[in-house]
Amino acid sequence: MILTWKVAVRAVLGPVAAVLLVLLVESGLLPGYQAYSVALAATYTILVLSVGLLAGWAGIWSVGHPALFAIGAYTVAYGSAHGWASEPTVLVAMLLAGGCGAFLGFAGARFSVLYIALLTLAFSLVALEVINRWVDVTGGDQGVPVTDLPSVTGAGSLGAGGSEAVVAAILTAGIVVGIAVLARSTSLRMRMVAAKSHPVVARSVGIAPEAQSALAFGVSGAATGLAGALLGLITGFVSPETFSLTLGINTVAAAVLGGVGAVGGGVFGGIFLAFAPSLAGLLGVDQLILQGALLILALLLLPAGVVPALGSVLRTLLRRVRRPGGPSVVEIPDEPAPAPAAERRTLEVADLGVAFGGLQALEGVSLSVPPGEVLAIIGPNGAGKTTLVNALCGLVSGGRTTGSATFGGVDLLRARATRRRRLGIGRTFQHAEVFTELTVSENLLCTTRWTTPTRRRAVDALLGRIGLAGQGDVYPDQLPFGPQKRLDLGRAVAEQPGLLIMDEPFGGLDAEERRLLAGQIQGLRAAGTSVVVIDHVLEDLFGVADRVVAFDFGRPIGSGAPDEILADDRVRSSYLGTTSARQARTSTRAEGPPAIALSGVTHRYGGVTALDGVELAVHPGVVLAVVGANGAGKSTLGQVLHGTLSPSAGTRTTDGAVRSSLVPEGRALFRTLSVRENLEVAGYAAGISGRDLRSRIDQAVEWLPERVRTRLSIPAAALSGGEQQLLAIARALIADPRLLVVDEPALGLAPALVDEVYGRITGLAEDGVTVVVLEQLLTRALAVAHEVVVLHEGVVRATGSPDDPGFATRAEQAYFGSPVGGGVRAG
Amino acid sequence: MSELFLVVVSGIASGAVYGLLGLGLVIIYRATDVVNFALASMATLAVYVALMVVQRGLGVGSAVIAAVLVAVVLGLVVRELVIRPLGTGRLFAALVMTMGVSLIAEAVISDVWGTEPHAFPPLVGGTVTLGSATLATQDLVVIGVSAVAMLAVGYLFTRTTLGSAMRAAAESATTAQIVGVPAQRVARIAWALGLGLAALAAVLYVPRVGLAPTVLAAPLFRAFAGIFLGGLTSMHGAVIGGVTIGVLENLAASYVSANFRDTFVFALTILILLLRPQGLFGTRSFERV
Repeated sequence: MILTWKVAVRAVLGPVAAVLLVLLVESGLLPGYQAYSVALAATYTILVLSVGLLAGWAGIWSVGHPALFAIGAYTVAYGSAHGWASEPTVLVAMLLAGGCGAFLGFAGARFSVLYIALLTLAFSLVALEVINRWVDVTGGDQGVPVTDLPSVTGAGSLGAGGSEAVVAAILTAGIVVGIAVLARSTSLRMRMVAAKSHPVVARSVGIAPEAQSALAFGVSGAATGLAGALLGLITGFVSPETFSLTLGINTVAAAVLGGVGAVGGGVFGGIFLAFAPSLAGLLGVDQLILQGALLILALLLLPAGVVPALGSVLRTLLRRVRRPGGPSVVEIPDEPAPAPAAERRTLEVADLGVAFGGLQALEGVSLSVPPGEVLAIIGPNGAGKTTLVNALCGLVSGGRTTGSATFGGVDLLRARATRRRRLGIGRTFQHAEVFTELTVSENLLCTTRWTTPTRRRAVDALLGRIGLAGQGDVYPDQLPFGPQKRLDLGRAVAEQPGLLIMDEPFGGLDAEERRLLAGQIQGLRAAGTSVVVIDHVLEDLFGVADRVVAFDFGRPIGSGAPDEILADDRVRSSYLGTTSARQARTSTRAEGPPAIALSGVTHRYGGVTALDGVELAVHPGVVLAVVGANGAGKSTLGQVLHGTLSPSAGTRTTDGAVRSSLVPEGRALFRTLSVRENLEVAGYAAGISGRDLRSRIDQAVEWLPERVRTRLSIPAAALSGGEQQLLAIARALIADPRLLVVDEPALGLAPALVDEVYGRITGLAEDGVTVVVLEQLLTRALAVAHEVVVLHEGVVRATGSPDDPGFATRAEQAYFGSPVGGGVRAG
Repeated sequence: MSELFLVVVSGIASGAVYGLLGLGLVIIYRATDVVNFALASMATLAVYVALMVVQRGLGVGSAVIAAVLVAVVLGLVVRELVIRPLGTGRLFAALVMTMGVSLIAEAVISDVWGTEPHAFPPLVGGTVTLGSATLATQDLVVIGVSAVAMLAVGYLFTRTTLGSAMRAAAESATTAQIVGVPAQRVARIAWALGLGLAALAAVLYVPRVGLAPTVLAAPLFRAFAGIFLGGLTSMHGAVIGGVTIGVLENLAASYVSANFRDTFVFALTILILLLRPQGLFGTRSFERV
């Protein structure tokens, strides 16, 4: 925790306000009943804070806090009946409630938000029943009085609704609010938020979500137990109706209304909860209707809550007064300061295999990465690259691993995912999975348990190295994609890992950013870090790699220096395909106006450009193949052609109304539905029913292979890959489309099946359907299509007909983005 | 022996009500990702309207129809007004939203009709003697009507095109969207169906205990327990879970302790869930991915 002036001032606000209130009460200016209301508001503040911060920081929504509240109150009642002193009684109350909370948090950690909410609901119901029946302790529905509890110091006593209790409640609430403010700037809170917003990524930086959840709920429970104890003390009487489920809902409502995760929001919520009855009386409406209506309005209009909404309005106003003009331009150091030296260790992988059920995703992988080497892993989609990365990071859930993988002698296959951080293994993610609810510097701070001044200086230095100096207080989603990826990298290397695993680091970056990234990777190598990179952008990858290993079908097929690897025929053909036999294809090309034309189509996802200025005309009745490596923008282009995705810029014009269907990548069948039901759903979606639907289904069934035709009632999941692909196409045909877009039909299919699937697809074109196939393998596209479009990084690099003699060479060059044959180097 | 038989039959009758409510919850959750906490209070409000029909002397049959219609309309209004504007993917916000709706519905009932319990007539009165055991006819009617309703839902979901589409949307909303299944229509149908089943459960349950503003709170929680057992995404799981809870609860009340029946039922449920997080029949929907 770093005690800056700003935090310190905010932290004393709560206690100071409490002292002022106490002075007001003691001076007698407030009538007795009002003093009681203030004390009640103070206890409710602690309660609502416990619920709201638990939800906002740890992502656990509890409707069961009334039960913990009750534990506190009844403990005080029990203590007072047995002559206990006040301090130990309150401590016992906090321990009991905190223990229950920690158990709930631990038990619920592996479940979804909804389940924990329902679990706490059940807990609350059971607690209510126990309260009502355990008459010896709770007095049943009669309730039980709280008498005076002497202090261990011997100075006075608390309880029985006395004014000491009122003062104690107000002061305690002030202190709790102060502690909450301080807790905001600790790593503890950051780690909870990290575990909540991205459990998998949190594991990769060494945060275990289960521990965070139990800890958070435990602390929240203890605070609620304290609030319950105070409630018992200020009311002098405890009865079950206080702790009804309605209180649970109202507490959540108050937390949502005030602002979940904001300390001020908890205070607002607590005050609201205490004064809601008076407010309702004043307005002349039923209290529950008021609370319900405000809850609904808050969720719809102010989802962040009243206090954060006010805060952001205030900040906007202040900013307008203070600082006109936009945010400062990010300065990226061209020559980054050298990274601190890393520990030198070797990664050894021997005969590693991963199987999911019957599918062998990875087999016989042996690698050795010495310290300071950059190893690139390439291969087409489905080659097993991601499985390898996940196995190294401990994220293959449900898979069976064989062989061994060690880093510095430690067995990685048996170590938990969270341990890798301590072993010195960092990981970056394809989509820069930063913690969006933490600021940029908090994203880096959360990787260690304690925030010390040294640590904060180290983080500031790191921010400078990754070109984010001065951006520490910004939230990541306010940054473009490139800086987000640099933040992801910074988080991975924050503690000088011995091994860095990078998943598609170049994807989505512009040329300048890629150059910078290459420099950063080289800097890490110089510091002794081994780097394993997988990517599809070969030029950049080859620019930084010392060695390249190519994968296909889950096993390594070749390895060598970057400028030699593509000379290997097996490696080249894994990208381009080997099919040389030309499939029977009508050479007549349809003339006339195009069925669909794209003009100047550009599309961006967030800051990532997927398509850039695409011009394309699809003529009716042809098979058009769009070819490109993974990530070239094929699927995006397919969706634009289909009409489901409207591009960021550019136009799509059609020749009249064109019915189009899309067969998405990976088939996207409804796996639990039968073959026939899959077809029916498409009919329902197209608005076809009755006899019409039956005849369409009969037609589609005719088109399917024999083995499927006779098994219409088995679930789609039980079909083979090729059969599933054909069913997916048949389902798309139910709508009787004039344009059919098929995304990667050959993915994951055995070669014989690929030929069958393509045979049927080209057959459709002969029946007059315009077909667009999105394909990874160039030779296959050349074999089946009338027209081929080569896409590279969202740009159309070549268009032509396979019958054109020079086209194949041109297309191959366009596919890799530069001349091939030993000449692929970073420019 | 005959006592055990009675306890089990009456447990099945309670369980059938929990099963209907649970089925309603699951249908709505599968189609729209909303755990509808307001299901019970909206159904209760509908039964109060049905009570007015009864008081006009129109017969219990038309009262049942009125209850179902009112509940369906209420459900559609609530979905369009407060749930749909929330957008998708906000599971907990939607749950809290329905909690707010539930607060309001219960307050409206108390303000309009008061909190005193009202008598609500059973569909069929009297008792049936089977050997040495005497059963309330209403219990058998509850079991019969629930069974018919559940079978009808089963038929709709497994034998019709609409059912295929609803199951498809439940399996993968993304894929359903790609295929072009109208998501809003499916959501509306699910809400209507869920509320209709809940109203039916309410009119079957209320004659036994009397009509009060929070009369359905306990059955709703037991329906949740049934869903815990069966899995949040499994329709037959909700039914089997609900009936299991009903029988267990009756057995616990008769042979263990009438005072701690909820504690017993929920402790057992949570124990099962800790051992089998996905429920007995559900997919792994509860777990974090």
